[in-house]
Amino acid sequence: MRLTALLSMAAKAAFPHDYRYGTNRPWTIAAQRLNPPGKKRRKVFVEPIANEDWHVVRGDTVEILSGKDKGKQGKVAQVIRHRNWVILEGLNTHYRYIGRSGDYRGTYIASEAPLLLKDVTLVDPTDRKPTDIEWRYTEEGERVRVSVRTGRIIPKPVFQRKDGIIPQQWKDGPKDTSPEDTLQKTYTPSLKTLEEDVMEKMNIQEDRRPRKSYWY
Amino acid sequence: MSAAVASRLTAVCRQFQRVLTVSSHTQTQYATRAFSTFHSCQQSRMYDSWCFRSPMNNRAVHTSCVRKGLEEFFDLPENWGEQTVKSGAPWTAKQLRVKSNEDLHKLWYVFLKEKNMLLTLEQEAKRQRLPMPSPERLKKVERSMKRLDTVVEEREDSLRLLQTGQERGRPGEWRRNVFGKTFWYRFREHPIPWYLNSRYKRRRFFEPSHVAPYTRLSLEKYLRSKIRKEKREKRNQKSLAAMFPKKTALASDH
Repeated sequence: MRLTALLSMAAKAAFPHDYRYGTNRPWTIAAQRLNPPGKKRRKVFVEPIANEDWHVVRGDTVEILSGKDKGKQGKVAQVIRHRNWVILEGLNTHYRYIGRSGDYRGTYIASEAPLLLKDVTLVDPTDRKPTDIEWRYTEEGERVRVSVRTGRIIPKPVFQRKDGIIPQQWKDGPKDTSPEDTLQKTYTPSLKTLEEDVMEKMNIQEDRRPRKSYWY
Repeated sequence: MSAAVASRLTAVCRQFQRVLTVSSHTQTQYATRAFSTFHSCQQSRMYDSWCFRSPMNNRAVHTSCVRKGLEEFFDLPENWGEQTVKSGAPWTAKQLRVKSNEDLHKLWYVFLKEKNMLLTLEQEAKRQRLPMPSPERLKKVERSMKRLDTVVEEREDSLRLLQTGQERGRPGEWRRNVFGKTFWYRFREHPIPWYLNSRYKRRRFFEPSHVAPYTRLSLEKYLRSKIRKEKREKRNQKSLAAMFPKKTALASDH
């Protein structure tokens, strides 16, 4: 048990307390190059926002309040909670060369810079204007985002999986279990351990008795 | 008597040869299919050396490789050579909790075989220096197995608590080691009682008298570090609050 605990500890990604989170995912080579183990960088202060107060989700339409693309609306492509960052598609971009090797200068692409949460607001879908947001409870007890200006509920965007699978259109493969088989209930609670239950079902007779052993 | 034995032996040998010829014939078929795929594993190479050299010579004695069940170490033949293989979502603990013990037992071995297949595939891909097709399948299987283990542990825990009131499956107790530290000592199973176990008697589960003053000092150190940590946390929260003042409803963005 201690070995598995050790293995699981090693498997879980551990970061130093002053790790600086960037736009690259921590397991990529670029992030490892920017944050080698012994490096100490100037500390960035991140406003502490509780999980309940965070109101921007990937796929939301937001408007930028300050910066180069002030006043423009865009869809959220990525949210980085460690730095309170929001990356929009195609907005707040700077240009750089990528994939240069030898003499070839590389491809000139636009890469988005992250925006702080306080520099963006959600957009009311009905009148497409920026608005302040509050978390309120509906009659049913559901916690929803409500725009303060109009009082309308802002629905959560449809969650799109990164691998492009749409659960409603999924076709099971030969090794997949069908939903009916998966949800079929076969468990009857009983005072039998798994081993006893399985031995009964497989008609295994265990007549041997364990030798007396001492636990200390 | 010896003639009868001899005739029986020849009959057995003829049967044996027939079995061998049949098996070698099917082996060649398997080898032709396996040879054209992306991983030419040890198995197919062995077939290659054995069968391709003399496909027509069925009279010679071949020792057939035992193929029984080894195909389960490999994926379905239609997935051979693909770059990506479609796979569904892993089992969740909620779905596993409604299954009976027998179902869970069978499912564990299904997971195990699938995991062995994927690990073989991974190793072969490393050997061929090619990317493994859909490595997320391995993660899904491992997570499903972990969740199954969690469900079984839950059931065992609840039964044990109900019947005996013991919180832990493995017995243990709080003991003090030579350095004065109190720790949870987990019992081990022995064939002989402790008073006959000389190695166990040499272990000291008490602190000597010259170590006693240090227990108090280390406790003080631990308490001081805990208070320091709490104070540091509070100081950090205060400085963050000063850096990011909470805006009132009037001072909103627009």
